[in-house]
Amino acid sequence: MSPTSSAEQPRISVSHAGRLAVMASTNGSAKGRTSSPAVHTIELRKQYRRTCALEGLSMTVGRGEVFGFLGPNGAGKTTAVKLLLGLVRPTSGETMVLGAPVGDRETRGRIGYLPELFRFQGWLSAREVLLLHCRLLRLARQRWQAEAGRVLEIVGLSERGDDKVAAFSKGMQQRLGLAVALLGDPELVMLDEPTSALDPVGRHQVREVIKQLRERGATVFLNTHLLEEVEQVCDRVAVIDKGRSVATGTLGEILGHESSVRLKVTGLKEDWWLKFADLGRWAVDGDWFVVEAIEAAQVPELVRAIVSLGGDVAAVVPERKTLEDRFLELLGPA
Amino acid sequence: MIPAFIIARLTVREAVRRKLVAAFAFITLAMVSLSAWGFYRLSHTRSITSGEVQVAMPQAFILFMFMFSFVLALSASAISSPAVSAEVESGVLQTVVTRPVRRSDVLIGKWLGLVVLIACYAIVVVALEAVVVNWVSGFVPPSPVLVALYLFAEGAVLLTLVLLLSTRLSTMATGVVGVALFGAAWLAGVVGSLGATFNISALRTVGQVSRYLLPTDGLWHGAIYYLEPSSFIARRLSESAGEAGNPFFALAPPSWQYLLWTGVWFLVVLAIGLVSFDRREL
Repeated sequence: MSPTSSAEQPRISVSHAGRLAVMASTNGSAKGRTSSPAVHTIELRKQYRRTCALEGLSMTVGRGEVFGFLGPNGAGKTTAVKLLLGLVRPTSGETMVLGAPVGDRETRGRIGYLPELFRFQGWLSAREVLLLHCRLLRLARQRWQAEAGRVLEIVGLSERGDDKVAAFSKGMQQRLGLAVALLGDPELVMLDEPTSALDPVGRHQVREVIKQLRERGATVFLNTHLLEEVEQVCDRVAVIDKGRSVATGTLGEILGHESSVRLKVTGLKEDWWLKFADLGRWAVDGDWFVVEAIEAAQVPELVRAIVSLGGDVAAVVPERKTLEDRFLELLGPA
Repeated sequence: MIPAFIIARLTVREAVRRKLVAAFAFITLAMVSLSAWGFYRLSHTRSITSGEVQVAMPQAFILFMFMFSFVLALSASAISSPAVSAEVESGVLQTVVTRPVRRSDVLIGKWLGLVVLIACYAIVVVALEAVVVNWVSGFVPPSPVLVALYLFAEGAVLLTLVLLLSTRLSTMATGVVGVALFGAAWLAGVVGSLGATFNISALRTVGQVSRYLLPTDGLWHGAIYYLEPSSFIARRLSESAGEAGNPFFALAPPSWQYLLWTGVWFLVVLAIGLVSFDRREL
């Protein structure tokens, strides 16, 4: 899949065939359901009086993917997550989650959710909160204690399991939120800013948890504005801004194959580079020649050509675009 | 376990853990002890005759129960106003309603839990007060079970209305509106009684309409009636033609039509609450 940008194509296109496949799976068997995408939205829109929080979001998240949902503050990320969970109703558009319409009660039992605003009953202990959710999930009673112990271990709260939640720091409450989201081995885990209150160690642990979920075959929908998080764990990314998707694809696709290269060349006439003007955008920066938007595969060819012209290539410094560069580029001027 | 029962159990547990039950137990015991002392003094005084004591005892008992009914109604409002709104504001509900439970299960569960608390309070208060007053003075209220039932129903009416408001308004606004409506309904009942006494149809209508819109005062009068011995009713009527206008006196129990309306009122308000919560965006 190629990345799309707002300049080229304002919204992600979704094939008609893809839509049919999703619809067919909802009417079919459990097998049909598992073959459906984890999340599929078509022109999802949410209007709050005068504010349009989400403007025609179309996206597909495959099963087993770690999908990064990236955007600046106020882009509509949390609104999108709430729409996918049925916490708010769309103004228009279609949404299917795990092959079923949003809000389907049975399907909700297969989704784990860590909200952006993670709060739990402060008068319960962490273990009691987990047991409450085991009950609500209708897990077999004999599994409750083991399941609570397992997720407490994963999030590093085993020692504090019997402490009251009210005594927890914000970071510990977020860990508990993650533990709640992991109960019952959900097929889809929706994490809304899961590391906002965590220290670097906690952030690392969350990334490890996400990797383990991927190994287990679960789908992770990671809503974040932390680029580092996305770069380290996500298979695919959607960038949204002002309520609409501006790009989607793998990280490679988002970053593009183009890169920049800086060259230090001597022994040639001043305008030698004009012969290669079509390879990219050229600029002179002191002793350096800078070529932007050049295909990475063309760099060795360029170096060979300079040498064959009699030039001395003293240095070749490739400069790859970072996700931050691309992110800022996609969002345009502030 | 049925999801509504899980939430009901959680609601009761919260009241216990957050020391609400302990606080109520302490205050109730203090008030009952105070009433025991008062009733003992009243029944053993030499400054009034035994006939006057027989009139004063039910009257004093009704006033004491009015205080308990007031506490019960305000408590019903206080504990139900944050039930939904505070959990929406804090975000606690988001993780609950995204589980495989209906929102109606969550609201009915909360209603059930709160109703259990109100019922326990009504039963304990009436039982304690009846036993203590009988012990110190020999006075036996005619139908303590029905008194407890009417007091409970009065609290449950306010609780149900406040829970409905809690699905839309903030915690503070819900509590204020609930208490204000209870006060207005009581006052409208007094206005209606005055209208009946002085035969002013407009005032009488205010009382009648308010008892249908919010049946708290109508149910309180049911409790009053079952606190009055029949000899007390006959004596009061013979002594004063204006007794019907006394807000602490009831000539007859609520009619079966009124009780039927109260049942319908519960169902309608609860149903509106369920629809309101179901449509609430979280």
